[in-house]
Amino acid sequence: MTPPRVEVLQGTLDLIVLKTLDILGPLHGYGIAQRINQVSEDLLKLNQGTLYPALLRLEQRGWIASEWGVSENNRKAKYYSLTRAGRKQLATETESWERMAGVIARLLGAEGT
Amino acid sequence: MSRLRMFGSRLLGLVRRRGGDDNLDVELRSHLDALTNEHIRRGMNAEEARFAARREFGGVEQTKEAYREQRGLPFLDTLWQDLRFAVRIFAKKPGFTAVAIATLALGIGANTAIFSVVHSVLLQGLPYPEADRLTVVWSIFSNEGRGPASGPELVYLRERSQLFEEFGGIWAQSGALTGEGEPEHVRLGLVTSNFLSMLAIKPQLGRFFLPEEQGTYSAKSVILSDALWRHRFGGNPRLIGKSVHLNGNSITVVGVMPPDFKIIFPEGSSVPPDIDAFVPFASNLAEDPRDQCYIRVIGRLRKGVAIPQAQAELDSIATQLRSEFTVFSEQALGLQVVPLHGDVVRNVRPALLTLFGGVSLVLLIACANVANLLLSRANERQREITLRTAVGAARGRVIRQLLTESILLSCLGGAAALLLGSWAMNLLLSLRPAGMEGLVATAFNLPVFGFTLALSVLAGILFGLAPALGTTKLNLVDSLKEGGRTVTAGRQRIRNVLVAAEVALGFVLLVGAGLLLQTFASLLRVNPGFNAQHVMTVRLSASGVKYQTPESAIHFFRELQKNLSATNGIDSVGVISHLPFDDTLPNWYSYYWPEGAPKPEQNTVMADHRSILPGYFASLGAQFVAGRDFDPIDAQENRPIAVVDDSVAARAWPRGSAIGKKLNVENGNFVRDTVEVVGVVRHLQSHSLTDPVRGQIYLLYPRAVRAHMALTVRSNIDPHTLVGLIRREVANLDKDMPVYGILPMNDYVEKARRPARFTSTLAGIMAVIAVLLACTGIYGVASYSVLQRTGEIGVRMALGARRGEIFAMIMRQGMLPVTTGVLVGLGLSLVLTPLLSRLLFGVRGGDSVTIAATGVLLLGVGVLACYLPARRATRLDPVAALRYE
Repeated sequence: MTPPRVEVLQGTLDLIVLKTLDILGPLHGYGIAQRINQVSEDLLKLNQGTLYPALLRLEQRGWIASEWGVSENNRKAKYYSLTRAGRKQLATETESWERMAGVIARLLGAEGT
Repeated sequence: MSRLRMFGSRLLGLVRRRGGDDNLDVELRSHLDALTNEHIRRGMNAEEARFAARREFGGVEQTKEAYREQRGLPFLDTLWQDLRFAVRIFAKKPGFTAVAIATLALGIGANTAIFSVVHSVLLQGLPYPEADRLTVVWSIFSNEGRGPASGPELVYLRERSQLFEEFGGIWAQSGALTGEGEPEHVRLGLVTSNFLSMLAIKPQLGRFFLPEEQGTYSAKSVILSDALWRHRFGGNPRLIGKSVHLNGNSITVVGVMPPDFKIIFPEGSSVPPDIDAFVPFASNLAEDPRDQCYIRVIGRLRKGVAIPQAQAELDSIATQLRSEFTVFSEQALGLQVVPLHGDVVRNVRPALLTLFGGVSLVLLIACANVANLLLSRANERQREITLRTAVGAARGRVIRQLLTESILLSCLGGAAALLLGSWAMNLLLSLRPAGMEGLVATAFNLPVFGFTLALSVLAGILFGLAPALGTTKLNLVDSLKEGGRTVTAGRQRIRNVLVAAEVALGFVLLVGAGLLLQTFASLLRVNPGFNAQHVMTVRLSASGVKYQTPESAIHFFRELQKNLSATNGIDSVGVISHLPFDDTLPNWYSYYWPEGAPKPEQNTVMADHRSILPGYFASLGAQFVAGRDFDPIDAQENRPIAVVDDSVAARAWPRGSAIGKKLNVENGNFVRDTVEVVGVVRHLQSHSLTDPVRGQIYLLYPRAVRAHMALTVRSNIDPHTLVGLIRREVANLDKDMPVYGILPMNDYVEKARRPARFTSTLAGIMAVIAVLLACTGIYGVASYSVLQRTGEIGVRMALGARRGEIFAMIMRQGMLPVTTGVLVGLGLSLVLTPLLSRLLFGVRGGDSVTIAATGVLLLGVGVLACYLPARRATRLDPVAALRYE
């Protein structure tokens, strides 16, 4: 039995995308989706289409930049990369996520005892 | 920062829409292809792989929609969508669209035109530097109202006031320009040295006057108007520093005023707008007699000083002056300060505001009409809207779309209104009364454009809101089931209310227009104290070397009068210094008192003074109340006598006859004379047709010689031949004499009627528009209800209802809102029309005859508008009508 897939939490998609680009460098949308599936071992329920409005939003904020290029199989593809502002944003979001996760964990732990 | 960046890139996204869509397509396709290939690689066949890829990707269209929403600004995006939809809807119904736009163009255009006048006359300040601080300071005499100030008064004001920055003064006179070329009569402004610099930033050429140029007892410098400089001196820039001959003296031109410079003074202040030349006051103002009042004073308030503060200061100065100088206490002198602009528009403001109120009513009626049009279309659109709602459109979203449509409609109307308005503007300009001549801007400007835009949007919301709310408040199931042909009672009620409102507003407009038209008719009937028919007038100016002595001028006018009178067809010829209603010359008015009047009554009551030759009263058909006219021997012997009008006679000798009594008058520039009254003539209206303004004293020309004179020629000759004849006779006596201002006397009287003609014509046009709109509104609602009730009427007929009953039923239903509107309008008019009373003459504000006539007229219009639909109802074929449902 595979465990039930989890919905992507509101607001975490940005963090996931930023982190992916941080680790792998410039990547097209398909690549980002594959990476997310890979890392989450298909546990995250992600409609891959929802990536695109998110990418646009990140680009509008100036956290990522895009450039047309050619994919591995010789198709025209848009490559996204992290900007300096994006890197800073990633740091703050990571930090606040960790703080949040810590709080939640403590809360849940407290309830257990 | 990030937010701003977001907005910017979204704004860009709007513009780059096309390319963006293509790029997104490529990106998504390449993603889907890669996903499909991945599945094929893992062993699916092509069909399965594509399907799996789709499933993992999610909805492509939803992605695109979400992407687009993220890219552009949703608000503008939706707006753009709604606008395109609206244009499609309008294009499908060109008839409806044209009627709606035309109605709105009429309503908005009328507002645009009137607003552009209101803006330039009432809202825009005068064309002077810091005009909002300019005021007029009037001297107030207990028994005569406001008047000019004396030289010492002006000096005391300057010495004692803390709240005014400066005071200036002007006195308009007549002068003669001689020397090279034809001698010419000029309007001369005698001014304080600072007067011109208070009203203009700098002269076009040269400089303003210097303080030391004032009070030198003979003017040495002159500043010319642009017009005089151009037509007499050919616009020669080297004229500065040269001398010209003014009133026989050689004086130096030191400056030329800018081309657009005009003196804008209140009506009745006897300062004409077009002054040809300015010279500094020759006398030392401080040494003038304290009772010689001739200076029209303007004051510039210090920054931040309000009128009431300034008035309080002037009150205390007046108190000081009265206690220090007997003359001032005898005059019971007071001082009054009013804003220059407010005083200038004092007479036109009520008329303009009334018209502005009138056009707003027209717009409201137009809006009600368009709202009704939209409501009748609402049924047709019911299906569409129900469908939209059924597939999930929020009510707010649908209302927004409907409002976008109505605002687009009214903006189209507004655009048409700007075209219509510029035409209407020409009409306004051709009708504008004298008080607005110096003020009206001819071109549309930004504020007017902004006003039109704002009004359009507002009107769109106004007439669109009710239909939009009505259409969307629906029971989905019912309206889908009934095939969109349902008419809810609620909607019919809105339509009736709208018609009733139209009728009520139209009622008010009609009553107002009726009152103003009656005012104009009364003005046509007014007896001005003379008969202007068949009288031609000509202006002459006996200035220059030939007329240095009074005798030569007297000789010229007497000979001219004699020669013309001897001509066949000419009944009588008069000679006078100031024609009635001619305000182009500085008025000549001064104090008078019956001989022996106690001191406090001297120098406080003013009358117009006129210089005439015998024959003037006959030529104008004036009526003598007592005594006799001047006769030729009086003139020959230069007798010290006068004719006064009935108001002077009544004021000076309230008990007993004026004939044979002695009167103290002014026969020249402050030269006093005592004359015996030989006749009393009925007042000849000279400034206003409705108000006597001031009494009149007529002196014999030889006793009060003036350079500018006018002929009044009563004849039965064709005016054109008469003009040639007069020119010939003048040239026979003096070939150099300038002849100008040849006008029928009627033209002067007509000019006095112009304010009333202006308001009544415009109000009349508005009333006609209102009635037409109301008529189409009533008709529209009645015929629509016949359409709605076709099936019902068929049933009634099938059950045996007679045609007469059907007719009565439709009439009753159609007339219900009309009668309601008439009743409401009646109430409104009783409340509102008394506000017009300032504009009315010969008729009262709440005139019951006018109100009753309006009620009858509107009911008649209602019957007429309901008649056709009602008749159509009676002609329905019951079988066809039953099938209709």
